[in-house]
Amino acid sequence: MIEVSGLSKIYREKERPITAVDDLTFRISPGTVFGLLGPNGAGKTTTIRMMTTLGKPSAGSCSIAGFDAQRDPASIKERIGVVPQENNLDRELSAYENLLIYGMLHQVKGLQEKISEVLDIVELEKSRDRIVQKFSGGMKRRLLLARALLTDPEVLFLDEPTIGLDPQIRRQFWDVIRKIGLDGRTVVMTTHYIEEAEALCDMVGVMSKGKMVALDTVPRLKRLVGEYVVDAITDQGKLEQHICRDRREADAIASGLQGRLTIRRSSLEDVFVKLTGTRIQ
Amino acid sequence: MNLMSWYPVFLREMLLFRRKLFRVGYLFSAMVVPVIYLITFGLGLGRNIDVGGTSYVAYLLPGLVAMSSMNNSYSWVSSALTLNRHYFKTFQVFVLAPVPASAIMVGEVFAGMVKGLFASLLIIFAGFFFTGTLVTTPFFLPALLVNCFLFASLGVITGMLAKSHEDTSTYNNFFILPMAFFCGTFIPVDRLPALLKTVVSILPLTHTNILIRKELFDGECLVSLAVLLSYTALFFILGTRLIIRYNE
Repeated sequence: MIEVSGLSKIYREKERPITAVDDLTFRISPGTVFGLLGPNGAGKTTTIRMMTTLGKPSAGSCSIAGFDAQRDPASIKERIGVVPQENNLDRELSAYENLLIYGMLHQVKGLQEKISEVLDIVELEKSRDRIVQKFSGGMKRRLLLARALLTDPEVLFLDEPTIGLDPQIRRQFWDVIRKIGLDGRTVVMTTHYIEEAEALCDMVGVMSKGKMVALDTVPRLKRLVGEYVVDAITDQGKLEQHICRDRREADAIASGLQGRLTIRRSSLEDVFVKLTGTRIQ
Repeated sequence: MNLMSWYPVFLREMLLFRRKLFRVGYLFSAMVVPVIYLITFGLGLGRNIDVGGTSYVAYLLPGLVAMSSMNNSYSWVSSALTLNRHYFKTFQVFVLAPVPASAIMVGEVFAGMVKGLFASLLIIFAGFFFTGTLVTTPFFLPALLVNCFLFASLGVITGMLAKSHEDTSTYNNFFILPMAFFCGTFIPVDRLPALLKTVVSILPLTHTNILIRKELFDGECLVSLAVLLSYTALFFILGTRLIIRYNE
């Protein structure tokens, strides 16, 4: 169980306080794939940093499996794996050497077998002795994931795991994350790709300007704001969207509109727009 | 607590060091500055100078070894830590591991020591090659080891405080470079102006230079050793505290 309570982070920039994360409170049950969704600057990465003990909160607390991130960080570090947003692999070392150092730091038992196992999962076994600098972007992301899995973590944190990957590689990456989720592991991921959150997450927290504006399952979030959307392109070429509670309401609204009309099921993006008033870029 | 938890930190640095060793320019760059000093001051300007009954080259060589060990132990650690924190983000890997801050400190310092000792070895060989003089005094090795540990610890402090790579050059210009020139490497501290002599007498490299040149253990040796060990303990504790307080 992950419990976050009143978590806040205030940075000081030229003596001016900037609230990056504002009073977050939520719980994540074991085995859940939990997504923090929001645009750049919403506070997702700062939240993950505090949850993984890398950042100190200005207020509030976070505990994982009963261990408080501030009072007992070592116990948290033993239970988590982290895939950071920025590549923090040693570029001048091979894939194997990166995993070896990480495994030794975490005192992984049966390290050699474990390294082969995780390299197999991410399909990098053939590149184990290649220098990371020569890897493609997708290979580096997969190696970061392999490294995080090396310790068999109870909770896996993925910060924008597919950022910068092309769509085909991104979908391959999703398959790996789904497989990890099926193992019963808790996954906490941040993303600003709506379709990624929709495809992978059991629960989604929508963040905007440091605040959690909604938290629920994807179907329930859609139901909350309306399950159908009428897209109307006006004669001036402008898109007007009407989010409707059900199909009947959508039909009724569509009958009163002019221009090119489409009635469709709502997406997580519609939920996001409705809740935050902004569109994720 | 695992007493070997520092080892992965050290091993990582050694794997990176091994890769650098095989680069053509590395060996040359590690020894070029001290060798230039040796040729210019030792074999050029110092050819006819006598320091306390010994030739200037024989005086200079241990000082160059001490200076080189200081520069390499310090610079490697401070630059690597600054880059690993700010640009490559690899320092996160250590901080997110369930190892104590002291283990990270020990691993980094030992790695810095290896680099400092390696550079010292190059100077010893170069000195022998150019002058036929082999640096041998009773306290040479212990003084060198303490010097490397001390300056590698200072390197951690700088690496943890620097806000950018440019910052490390600033620290270098204010602390390391003056020490290299005034702390008894090129000229005996006794010959410095009184005020400068007072300042220099509290700096660590002065005491390494005293210890590294001593033939017999005396009161001055004891004072220098005590000063060096005090600095070492202070820098080690400060470095460890900075790692403990690290957060993003």
